[in-house]
Amino acid sequence: MSYVAIKGGSEAIGRSKNLFKKMLDGEFLLEDSNTSKLIFGIDRIMGEGALYSEKLAVRAIHVSGCNLLEAAFYLRAHRSTCRRAGKSLAINGGEIRVIRRISSAFKEIEGGQILGPSSDFILKLLAGHGSDLLEAIDGGDGSRKIQHPLPSGLSDLRSRGLIMTVAVKENERKPVDITRSSPLPPYPRSSMMQVMARGETGSMLGFAYTSLRGYGDIHPTIGDLRLGMAAVKMIHPLTGKAVVVGEIRVTAVESVGSFQRDSKDNNLRLTSGFGFCFGFNETKAISMSILDLAMSYPHYSVGEKSIATDPEIIFHHIDGIESMGFTDHFKMPHYVTFQADIKTLERAMEHDENG
Amino acid sequence: MVEISFAFFDEDAKKEIRRAILKGIALPGYIVPFASREMPLARGWGTGGLQISLSIITEADTIKVIDQGCDASVNAVNIREFIVATTDVRATSTTGEASIIQTRHRVPETALTEEQVLVFQVPTPDVLTVVEPDTDKQKKMHAHLEYSKLWVLLYEDTASFGDSRIASRYPVEVNDHFIMDPSPIPRYDIPRLNDNPALMLFGAGREKRIYAIPPYTKVKPIVFDDRSFQMEDFTGKSCMRCGAENVFFDTLKKDGEVQYYCSDSDFCDQTLESRKSHAS
Repeated sequence: MSYVAIKGGSEAIGRSKNLFKKMLDGEFLLEDSNTSKLIFGIDRIMGEGALYSEKLAVRAIHVSGCNLLEAAFYLRAHRSTCRRAGKSLAINGGEIRVIRRISSAFKEIEGGQILGPSSDFILKLLAGHGSDLLEAIDGGDGSRKIQHPLPSGLSDLRSRGLIMTVAVKENERKPVDITRSSPLPPYPRSSMMQVMARGETGSMLGFAYTSLRGYGDIHPTIGDLRLGMAAVKMIHPLTGKAVVVGEIRVTAVESVGSFQRDSKDNNLRLTSGFGFCFGFNETKAISMSILDLAMSYPHYSVGEKSIATDPEIIFHHIDGIESMGFTDHFKMPHYVTFQADIKTLERAMEHDENG
Repeated sequence: MVEISFAFFDEDAKKEIRRAILKGIALPGYIVPFASREMPLARGWGTGGLQISLSIITEADTIKVIDQGCDASVNAVNIREFIVATTDVRATSTTGEASIIQTRHRVPETALTEEQVLVFQVPTPDVLTVVEPDTDKQKKMHAHLEYSKLWVLLYEDTASFGDSRIASRYPVEVNDHFIMDPSPIPRYDIPRLNDNPALMLFGAGREKRIYAIPPYTKVKPIVFDDRSFQMEDFTGKSCMRCGAENVFFDTLKKDGEVQYYCSDSDFCDQTLESRKSHAS
């Protein structure tokens, strides 16, 4: 009987915690236990630094003293020394080999709710009563096969034509690479997605939160959140066939917003937003899907102009390496400009006295 | 090991939260600010409801925790186990046996009694947020019962879509006075707040607010005089498991077919139980 997908919640939580511990102990995914303890730091900076290399990420964490903004900066700087080998084929989210996939939209979905390794239900107590609650439970007999490929939790709604598709202009079909050309507004969707995929987790969270809390209308429902391995494929220059050149850890999110009238055919449909980043970073991917929703469908009740709906604000303010660099630059000498400020103040005071 | 007191909090914390609760009860639908302690559970995961439950609970209480109507959901399990671990009170899934029921997104199907307290987990305590995000302005609008922006939103939605687009957390007027956010319960649950014998407490941990609907209080959804309140319609549907009708259903798609199951898992169990005993 499949009445409640998550019946036996205790057991599910216990197993999820157990997997989380095992992941941190290096029993799977990252096999070096020194590295596995850093997994979320590594994943965060590989995304923000826009360079997928666990080895370099670990080095960046060490040389920066675990200042993650700066560690991401090391990776970003390293990019400039790497020649671009080519373009990979687009990754299909359904093809991700999932290790965790949940949907908060539907109790039961094709392929099931897969908690996987998660710290969601670990009580955040360093010591004392309750910190050892709901002890980790050793996994089942491993007989549960995870469906592959696994369609999105929204695929049923989508196939029924209930999900709106963002209109992409004909001349924007080819993705822009912001590391090779700097687009002008209105920003092509591909460039916005790239900026967000490289965005700083905290900044994106902050901007997305404004929309959730009232300065905007987005209260998303997560249709599909998945963590797993995605194969990166390229076209072989000699055979012309697609070959897998590696696998990367990724997080992908599809969230659903309110319904709106689709200008395409005047029908009512649900809006949706997409988030995707290197590594396991649920907060960032969810934030990205919210920002995507907010910018793609700005109007509901509080009006069209709010922080998260404004591509001009998001495009220029979520890059951690840039915003950190500029904010920290105020430590540099500003003797000349400040002297000029003082002189201007003196002239204004003189004007006051004479006035 | 660090000793942690009964129900996690120190007594001063409980006192402060109880004071906010009492003020909330005295002013039905009025939003009372409180300090909101840090919990070992993330903000947004039920910390407001949990703080209320922990500050009113005594050794004699029996606790039930549900999420989406279901006791076995991972969020409900997590909260229930935490409460039990810090209080050692009895836990139950049977609605009728519980003295405190903490809930997320549902009002139990089984009618509540004067002996029970229903504690709601609240994400957005102020109903005006949808039209006015500034908390200072919100407070003044409540003071003046200035709800015209809500009515305009209702009018605009009705003009464009035939009804308000607010599906859950539909605005309600409490005790003919304040308009209040009932937490994200479905519309089906809205009329069930009216004249309810149980005390209903609402806690928003992240937003640091508490409010209340005392027992037997008039609660009505905001609707225009010439319109009726529309709810999720499950006419003619019945639960695949227990056969119940006229309750709130989860839908699930199996082999291309839509199936309905009680959202309230305890109600489903009870109905099934009584059918079985009738049959035998």
